[in-house]
Amino acid sequence: MKMTMNEKQEQKRKELYIDKSYTPIVHDEENILEVNKLKKYFPVEDGMLQRIVGYVKAVDGISFKIKKGTTMGLVGESGCGKTTVGRALLRLIEKTSGEVIFEGKELYDYSKKELRALRPKIQIIFQDPYSSLSPRLPIREIIGEAVREHKIVTSEEYDDYLDQIMEDCGLQPYHKDRYPHEFSGGQRQRICIARALALNPDFVVCDEPVSALDVSVQAQIINLLMDLQKKFNLTYLFISHDLSVVEHISNTIGVMYLGEIVEYGNKADIFNNPSHPYTKALFSAIPVPDPTVEINRIVMEGTPPSPMNPPSGCKFHTRCSYCMDICKTKVPEVIVLENDHVVACHLYDK
Amino acid sequence: MMSKENSNYKKNVETKQNVNLDDEQRIKVLSPTMLVMKRFIRNRLAITGIVFIIGMFLFSFVGGWLMPYEEDQVFTKYEEMYKVRGGITVNEELKYIIVEDKEFPLIARSQFVLAVAEEQELFESEGKIYVQEKVDDDYYVIYGTTEIGISLQIGKDINISTAGEILSDEFITNTIEAIKTDVVKFEYDSELYYIVYGKKSNVIYRLNDFAISTRNIYNYQIQEIQNDYEFCKNAEITIRSNTSVFAVAGTEYTIDNKDGIYEIRDNDNNIYAIITRYQMEPIYEDVFFSLRFKEKLKDIIEEGTEKFTYIEDNGEEIPYRIYRQNLQWTLEHIEETYLIDEYGLSSPEHIMGTDGHGMDILTRLMYGGRISLRIGFIVVLISTFIGIVLGGVAGYFGKFWDNLIMRVVDVFNCIPSLPLVIILGAVMDQTRVPPNTRLNILMLILALLGWPGIARMVRGQTLSLREQEFMTATEATGIRVSKRIFKHLIPNIIPQLIVICTLSLGGVILTESVLSFLGVGVKFPFASWGNIINAVSNAHVMANYLFVWIPAGLCILITVLGFNFIGDGLRDAFDPKMKR
Repeated sequence: MKMTMNEKQEQKRKELYIDKSYTPIVHDEENILEVNKLKKYFPVEDGMLQRIVGYVKAVDGISFKIKKGTTMGLVGESGCGKTTVGRALLRLIEKTSGEVIFEGKELYDYSKKELRALRPKIQIIFQDPYSSLSPRLPIREIIGEAVREHKIVTSEEYDDYLDQIMEDCGLQPYHKDRYPHEFSGGQRQRICIARALALNPDFVVCDEPVSALDVSVQAQIINLLMDLQKKFNLTYLFISHDLSVVEHISNTIGVMYLGEIVEYGNKADIFNNPSHPYTKALFSAIPVPDPTVEINRIVMEGTPPSPMNPPSGCKFHTRCSYCMDICKTKVPEVIVLENDHVVACHLYDK
Repeated sequence: MMSKENSNYKKNVETKQNVNLDDEQRIKVLSPTMLVMKRFIRNRLAITGIVFIIGMFLFSFVGGWLMPYEEDQVFTKYEEMYKVRGGITVNEELKYIIVEDKEFPLIARSQFVLAVAEEQELFESEGKIYVQEKVDDDYYVIYGTTEIGISLQIGKDINISTAGEILSDEFITNTIEAIKTDVVKFEYDSELYYIVYGKKSNVIYRLNDFAISTRNIYNYQIQEIQNDYEFCKNAEITIRSNTSVFAVAGTEYTIDNKDGIYEIRDNDNNIYAIITRYQMEPIYEDVFFSLRFKEKLKDIIEEGTEKFTYIEDNGEEIPYRIYRQNLQWTLEHIEETYLIDEYGLSSPEHIMGTDGHGMDILTRLMYGGRISLRIGFIVVLISTFIGIVLGGVAGYFGKFWDNLIMRVVDVFNCIPSLPLVIILGAVMDQTRVPPNTRLNILMLILALLGWPGIARMVRGQTLSLREQEFMTATEATGIRVSKRIFKHLIPNIIPQLIVICTLSLGGVILTESVLSFLGVGVKFPFASWGNIINAVSNAHVMANYLFVWIPAGLCILITVLGFNFIGDGLRDAFDPKMKR
């Protein structure tokens, strides 16, 4: 049977979306969020007819679970798909396949209307505090608009609630009538946090919330986030490329490389016993504030490969100093090392 | 120097202690809109633009309301028109008054003139012999002759042979006496005789009344009266003899000398004729100057006044004007007519004069401004509305809508607007669309042609804003779509929108002017700046009536310049980084 190019493409696309190669997850009440084999492919169109010539596999089948009231850190170098994961968890972009279970229910099964009602439960704090605030609205509106929209509090309580939230986030109530351009980066990030927390969320995706800020302010914001977590019993997915920050805030850590989680485990396990060569290389780059300490720096060669055309086998094999023949052909299995510390590397094959 | 710096430093230290971030201490920071306003107001060029535009608005709307005139009110002026009625000359020619039934041919007349010049009494023409007698320079008597006989002198005897008549002895004696004393002219039995002396023989002629020649002009009371030989001759004689009464054919006439005019009255003491040296001839054959009028004319000429009023017999006052060229005067009737006040110069009633249709230029400028500004604003309003809606839909919803709307934009951009509007204008001419409807259709068409640019701009802005994180944030916080668009998207597009609108206002006004100038836009008698300039259809008007078209041009210039200044000012105010 002959197929035209378009039909072929269409079929390919369908195959992608009904990819059920994963086993459905078993929900655990303890977890607020469970992600199973989440994939997000961006089609790449080219040529005169805008045919799909391939896919950027930004997120290529990642799985993790976040317990209520904990923080998961997601680290990885630029372009590895961290932000895409974050956005897919909020349905700001649609997944390609996989499962996202939020509080026991598949997030992608919600209708648009239901999703809108669910929105306050999942919030996001953006990386860039400068572009994430509408320049033409006063702070009162930026923080309070969605509060009114979702009727988080009654209209009598509204003003006090706003003041309270702002105070919680380290803002003064008299800031309400000012505009974003009147604030510093740190203050803006506090406004972003206030906007997210005003909706009384359960789960907050922090998408590199401190990477645009200078170090002193970073610490303030991190501490603020941690304080608020205690106060409101929040769950964070903390996306960052800065390991020291992640170390400070996270309970569990996932290390991403080219759309896949290569190592996942408790903070202590990961930091004490980094197993994947990529994690090792990454951790060797953490600066130590002691000039006498000699760091055995592992320098990775080359640049990250294109996520559109990732290497065969283990995606890291092109830059891996422990590269073996099997790495070039076989995709590594996920291997459990010790209490939930998993790694995807042939080095630990039994 | 040092002390000053020190004091400044101290001051800084002092104030630093008070620095506290509460609202009393803080410099009031303004909202983005107020900031833009502040920056805008500080821009001198933009303020100039604002002043221009406010001025134009006041001029057009308040000015037009204050003006006492209507947009299409035609003004007339009261002007004196001169119509030639006649000519007056001082008569220097000899006029002939001939006995009835006789003829005085032209050749004979010239011979007479020659004889006068050579001071010869006798002259001949076509075999006839005439005798002229000079009374004075202005009056000659011309006689015809009949040959009576010939006298021959043989020795001492004078022998007279008759030519056919039987001559009485007494006459012969008289004649011989005359010949002996070399008399040329003698009278016998109340008839005149004339002797022409020759070498051998003398010819004796009897003189007949033939004609008189005078430089006086006889004007009669009644047009039909012709010069009568007897009357004229007697009149001339009477004038010269300083008497005042003469009789002709049983009627007695009296002559009065009134300052050079001789009035002749008949029995009943009615003026019968006047004698003057002025020849007054009407230009039209059916017009007759009455004697009274002629007397008046003569007085006026001698007084040397130019204008005078003549009261007709029926009491009507008619103004006249006389002007002199050498010894000729032209009589003109002053007719006062209402004329359309074309190209009237500045006057208290019409400060900027009147145009070729006799309409007040200032009023038309004001009403034209109303139309131009109205068209500008309405067109921009409509096209902005369409542009925002379609551009917003294309940008926000993307994909299919974006494709569809942008292709429509492309199609609209392919329409050659000027030919289209000209054709539509021609169609509207043919179907006689009323001017008001025409104006509305024009606005609609300009708006339909104008929206693609705005739609493109809005789409582009929406596309870029949609990807901004604050738009993602609105989605993440679950704000509904309408609020996202109107509260977050549109306010951020508005700066560019205002700039593009202000700049396109000027463009629309220009387009309207061009169309009206071409005659397909706003139609006369509605005024628009464009069709005011349309009055300049030839070099004559352009060169000679600058005041007709320059003000309208200036109005367009100032308005468009004003809008462009404001647009530039707004752009600078919205985006201070762009500034220079």
